[in-house]
Amino acid sequence: MIFSRLISASRGEIGAGAAPATGVRTAVEQELPIIQIRNCLLVSIQTELHDRLALNLQEALMERVRVVGAQGVILDISAVEIIDSYITRILNDIGKSVRYMGATCYIVGIRPAVAMTLIEMGVELDSVNTALNLDAALEKLELLQ
Amino acid sequence: MKTVETEIGAVLTGSISEITQRSIFRRLGGLARVPVSQLSAQERAAVLSDLENSIRLFSPAKSPELIASCRRVLAGGPLVDPHAAPAPSPPGATSRKLDIEVEKDIAVARLEAWSEAVRIGLSKFASVKVATAVSELARNIVFYAGTGSIELSSRRDEKGTRLEIVARDQGPGIDPQKLETIFAGTYKSERGMGKGLVAVKKLVDEFHLDTRPGKGTTVVCSFRGDR
Repeated sequence: MIFSRLISASRGEIGAGAAPATGVRTAVEQELPIIQIRNCLLVSIQTELHDRLALNLQEALMERVRVVGAQGVILDISAVEIIDSYITRILNDIGKSVRYMGATCYIVGIRPAVAMTLIEMGVELDSVNTALNLDAALEKLELLQ
Repeated sequence: MKTVETEIGAVLTGSISEITQRSIFRRLGGLARVPVSQLSAQERAAVLSDLENSIRLFSPAKSPELIASCRRVLAGGPLVDPHAAPAPSPPGATSRKLDIEVEKDIAVARLEAWSEAVRIGLSKFASVKVATAVSELARNIVFYAGTGSIELSSRRDEKGTRLEIVARDQGPGIDPQKLETIFAGTYKSERGMGKGLVAVKKLVDEFHLDTRPGKGTTVVCSFRGDR
């Protein structure tokens, strides 16, 4: 409900203004579009999150947070089936850098098997906030403001 | 005088390919060219343990007989009849080798591992663990060794389904001191969290690491289907 309201509210802003200029960012955003919903940035990771892509995403996100003054960043990883220690580190790094820039990072949609595997591996996903799904994350972010 | 290479070679022929045999003997180094009778007890043990590992890797189906034969040969005993009918490989035994060179091979390897785990009937959670472990191992190869391979083999025996992962590279190997800090959890690498190997060890049911500085690293680990 909240989600659809926010989507319609932000429709006018998508693709406007802070269009990425560098080749790297354009390439990233072709695979991983960064969508702005009010003052939050949303990335839905639907592809295999290979390493280069993950690093480029981090870079592109930071730049967008700076340009639009985003309060929140939401990464939807519900389509990601495998998360290993390296990807965990990248997610933690994104979470930290988002926090250093004064925004809040939410990871949403972690699959049960992924969560259990992370625990079994002894790898911590502790520099990001988590929410069950996008709607829940938006609600939590809205409460912060 | 027959050397280790010729005598053991006679045992392995038919079960392990020429090329693989050559790489096994290359690993043994100078010891492969020494006559069996001149090996010291210590060298004999070293050769045997190396052979056991290799045989388990390359011919898991026949490893008990082959290892027994190698043991006999190294003890100076008679060779088992090389013309005896080979033992039939167990039903459903498959093996697949993936070359790991660039980053995209990591993703390919983990997907392959995942589909293999699903194919042999591991649970959903176990399959994700398999794929995650393979991902870590492949990443180590690309980051630290440059190139290597990951071999996935699965078979069914009386104890259930078993999926074995062998990650092999000819990279710089891991320094023993570093290895200690890695497994103590205090090692921090630049690119990973230094937790890849520890994570793999925690995920799998059996874990064996063989590393030689300057020569390469081999990680053998396996999952059992009954978990």
